[in-house]
Amino acid sequence: MSYDIAIIGGGIMGCATALRLAEGGMHPIVLDQGDLGQGASGVNAGTLSLQIKRVQLMPYALRGHDLWAQMGDAVGFHKSGGYTLAFNAREAELLTERQTLKAEAGAPIEFVSNAQLRRAAPNLTQNVVAASYCAEDGYANSSLTGQYYRGRLQDAGIAYRTHSPVTAIDKTTAFELATPQGTVRAKRLLLAAGAWLKPVAAMLGVDLPVQARVNTVSVTERMPPLMSSVIGHATGLLTMKQKANGTVLIGGGWQGRGTPQDGRGTVASDTLRPNLALAQYAVPSLGSARVLRSWTGFEANVPDFYPLAGALPHVAGAYVLGCVRGGYTIGPYISRLMGDFILGQEPELPLFDPGRAYTKEPT
Amino acid sequence: MIRLVPNHASKIKRRDKVGFTFDGLRLEGRRGESLAAALLQAGHLNLRTAPFGDAPARGAFCHMGICQECAVRIEGRTVEACRTELTDGLVVERVS
Ligand SMILES: Cc1cc2nc3c(=O)[nH]c(=O)nc-3n(C[C@H](O)[C@H](O)[C@H](O)COP(=O)(O)OP(=O)(O)OC[C@H]3O[C@@H](n4cnc5c(N)ncnc54)[C@H](O)[C@@H]3O)c2cc1C
Ligand code: FES
Repeated sequence: MSYDIAIIGGGIMGCATALRLAEGGMHPIVLDQGDLGQGASGVNAGTLSLQIKRVQLMPYALRGHDLWAQMGDAVGFHKSGGYTLAFNAREAELLTERQTLKAEAGAPIEFVSNAQLRRAAPNLTQNVVAASYCAEDGYANSSLTGQYYRGRLQDAGIAYRTHSPVTAIDKTTAFELATPQGTVRAKRLLLAAGAWLKPVAAMLGVDLPVQARVNTVSVTERMPPLMSSVIGHATGLLTMKQKANGTVLIGGGWQGRGTPQDGRGTVASDTLRPNLALAQYAVPSLGSARVLRSWTGFEANVPDFYPLAGALPHVAGAYVLGCVRGGYTIGPYISRLMGDFILGQEPELPLFDPGRAYTKEPT
Repeated sequence: MIRLVPNHASKIKRRDKVGFTFDGLRLEGRRGESLAAALLQAGHLNLRTAPFGDAPARGAFCHMGICQECAVRIEGRTVEACRTELTDGLVVERVS
């Protein structure tokens, strides 16, 4: 049997695009080398924050937030609001500059006084010099990604295969994908392989300048209620939230070690310590919390840090979607746009041409 | 009781008995077994209180270092009883 489109990668991008394509009448198949949602989409910090989005991506993030609210409990969605903190004059300047731009781009971000902050978040350090607040911010539980999309794919009658790495791609009149379970044939192809995009595109002779970052996340033991909103830092080096069960999830993009090709990354103590120290500085009572686990995941990017979303250069019928900054937040929405584009419809907002020069701001 | 495997209970060699204390109570267990097992054996199912909520009494649940419901204090540190080997004279206290 031949599919209308084969999607390599069952992360949030691959799964959400498959859903849109099926809505549009196509028959897709999703292939993943592991299980659905076990890559970045399943291990990320789950922060849905407009305050840490790039200005250019704000319209996408705003619409993404609406989709998360619709997904609701099934993905552990909480609109908790979020504070971003500055601890000295330099950080305050950075905060004012960045959040003003984001507010101008449409995010409902306001600056809050120390008195307001004390009242709303009494467990924060007294050393806050400036703070911004966004009521739209919140979080979801990324470990539910795989389970959620598996259910959605099944309900929509979409084919998917797990533990099915694509090891070679042949392009004749259609695409022929070699997997350990046999060859999969499809008229079109979407590469949604996250941090593994480079080797997958290379199977078609295309060089994508994809690099991978090794982000670290930690979770503490259950603590008494310490914070009810997402807490971030002006530099972006801290994101933190307390779950309903009392555990506190700490991220901020600190780098572990390893490469996607070598399998799992490892946590590095020299970056983990400052990450935890910053969390503890923001909320001093975390000093008594024990960290239960720290882990890493691979986040892909290209040199200009804008998404790859569009037609794959040089290969007719092939597309690529990935490298989205804040890709968990924006994933469900940009995947819709991608689906519409593949269906031959004009996407509501522009995509990001993978054939661009990566040196300047995309138009 | 139905057994799917032969009953090897009589062949299990348990090591010598050692004494330890739990919040000042003198208890006995077997050297080298997990502290959580020794506490259970001694009848202590409730090991700590919850950090918050209305079900305050907590006890060892996963026995593999994940749930933290067996956390106790030893020599000033909070440790998991299920991942602590029982040694002679161990002084164990509840997490306050
Ligand atoms: C630790 C961490 C924290 C993050 N925190 C946040 C956050 O708080 N908020 C936010 O918005 N974003 C966050 N991100 C970014 C976000 O997680 C990613 O942008 C997003 O999940 C990427 O989704 P994806 O589908 O492109 O990639 P992935 O989820 O990685 O999916 C790619 C899939 O492709 C499969 N694959 C690869 N090669 C092959 C092959 N040859 N054959 C078959 N399958 C293959 C992989 O198995 C994988 O499942 C974080 C990322 C990381 C790593
Ligand atoms: S019983 Fe779960 S951590 Fe010890």
